[in-house]
Amino acid sequence: MISLRGVTKSFRDADREVPVLRGVDLDVAPGELVAIVGASGSGKSTLLYVAGALDLDFGGEAVVAGRSLRGLSTAERADLRNRFLGFVFQSFNLLPGLSALENVMLPGILRRDGAEPVAALRTRAGDALARVGLSAQAAARPGRLSGGERQRVAIARALFARPAVLLADEPTGNLDAVTGEAIIRLFADLAREGLSVLVVTHEERVSRAATRVLHLADGRLG
Amino acid sequence: MKARGLLWLALANVRADRRGALVNAGAATVGAAALAFFLALGLGVGDAARRMFPADARLVDVVPAGVSLSGVLGGGQLDDAAVARLREAPGVADAWPRLSLRVPVAAPRPPEGLQVNWPPGMTVQIPVVGVAPGLLAPDLGPGARFEDPAGGGAIPVVISRRILEIYDKTIAPAWNVRRLPPGLSLVGIELPVKIGLSIVPQKTEDRVYDARLRLAGLSDRIPVYLAAMPLDTVRRLHREYGKQDAGYTQVTVLARRPDDVPGIAAAVRRMGFSVDEGDRAAAERVGTVVAVTTGALAVVAVVMCGLAALAIAQSLSASVRARVREIAILEALGATPADVRLVVLAEAALLGLAGGVLGAALGRLAAIGADRVAARLLPDFPFRPETFFGWPAWIALLAVTVPALAAVLGALAPAATAARVDPARTIS
Repeated sequence: MISLRGVTKSFRDADREVPVLRGVDLDVAPGELVAIVGASGSGKSTLLYVAGALDLDFGGEAVVAGRSLRGLSTAERADLRNRFLGFVFQSFNLLPGLSALENVMLPGILRRDGAEPVAALRTRAGDALARVGLSAQAAARPGRLSGGERQRVAIARALFARPAVLLADEPTGNLDAVTGEAIIRLFADLAREGLSVLVVTHEERVSRAATRVLHLADGRLG
Repeated sequence: MKARGLLWLALANVRADRRGALVNAGAATVGAAALAFFLALGLGVGDAARRMFPADARLVDVVPAGVSLSGVLGGGQLDDAAVARLREAPGVADAWPRLSLRVPVAAPRPPEGLQVNWPPGMTVQIPVVGVAPGLLAPDLGPGARFEDPAGGGAIPVVISRRILEIYDKTIAPAWNVRRLPPGLSLVGIELPVKIGLSIVPQKTEDRVYDARLRLAGLSDRIPVYLAAMPLDTVRRLHREYGKQDAGYTQVTVLARRPDDVPGIAAAVRRMGFSVDEGDRAAAERVGTVVAVTTGALAVVAVVMCGLAALAIAQSLSASVRARVREIAILEALGATPADVRLVVLAEAALLGLAGGVLGAALGRLAAIGADRVAARLLPDFPFRPETFFGWPAWIALLAVTVPALAAVLGALAPAATAARVDPARTIS
């Protein structure tokens, strides 16, 4: 589901190029939960954004959900993110003006073919919230939810479009130990259901649940 | 993203920032209200001015030249040959001669069947012009005829519609006499007159006899100070009193289209006649003043809409800067930069539309209020309209669309800024 070959990425700092990824090769198959660990600033998030078709300014080859990212137009990349990829971020990244339910149904609203009625989107969003145990908080704004609840809303949103790939960036970074464990167990369950789950983290507890753990150092995976 | 999703997101953004939305829509409301109010005021005042100074854009009044070059140009006298030539001029649909009656006519008694407090001993001199029946045919009352009663009987006359208004609003209150009933209900009343009698003793003819004038209609084609009789009646009276006719006083030419008028005026001058611009020029001056004033007020209103658009633009710019992370999230979830741009524009359009609808309603309410104040404070002068505002549907349409368009134009820059958000850099 995710296949990266010789991926390079560098940032410009003043007059010099600072390499972050130096030829990364990575494969994540369906049903796998792969954890990438590394120190802060090692390029873990950068790798995730390349795999998530959010950053096209990279070298090498990236194939995600059967599509080579290089050949995709802006609209095709947006469609890929909408239909095949789910994102979970450390800081939840929910829209504060929308309710939990509305945040979850956003991918359906943004869908390019847009054939599903809003009422049906609401029903499905309600189901997604129920799956993460947040039916009672459907009408609440993110500001009234706890950190763990917000992350579960973000996971419900990531799963709403029934993606093939789940990308998570430090998903337990802002959660207490108990909530973090629950989130990790949920990711493991999702992987067992056939999703390709790629998690970047520096937390050991995430690594313990992963089917594979890869270390990113000096721009290379090992 | 489909239009449905676009609208959903734009509405969600508006809901999320209710205070900002209220301020922005309020600015658009003020602009739209001003636009609707001033345009409607211009139209209403214009209509009132046109009632006060009616001018048919297709009519041209031809008079003999002040300094005649008839010997050289073959013109000068407005006779039947000249009328025939005028009818042949390019763009002319018809031409009707007018001839001033040179026999005095005076009314020593009030109209019969009309309850007015005629001051005792008052005699009213009636200036008369003879006109071809065709000129007034559209303005005759039902069943009324405009022909010379050669065999005796009442002489049909047509008077200006405006004289009734002037009488009702100035003469009647000043004399403390009754007002006249509405226009066409007067048709058919008769006024006893004396033909040959003048209020200036030296001008009274040797022979004075009784006659009756019957009101046959009301017309804007008659000057306010004249009564119109059939041309044949005037000729007959001239014959009776031995007055020689040296051509017509005036010929009224009807152009096929208003655009033909300048060409006809030029042809008239080439024939050696002049064009009487009096009524037309007055109407045009009033029309110009009203149009310029309306235009200036409309410009002020459009500027207010522009300022509202700037306020919306500034507010949206701040909003976009504050929402870059949300925009990046939308892109991560499947929005394209074009989608993001459209959401911001749709948000502005919604605010502009809401402001426009409210503003159109507010402008209408303000107009109703202004009419009520005017009714209470202004005296009842001639041609005072029931309302000083005109409300065709296009004003409401304009009041709604101009602020919406202005808001969308103002939102172009913030929308472009939003579309440039780099999700990878912003989220990380």
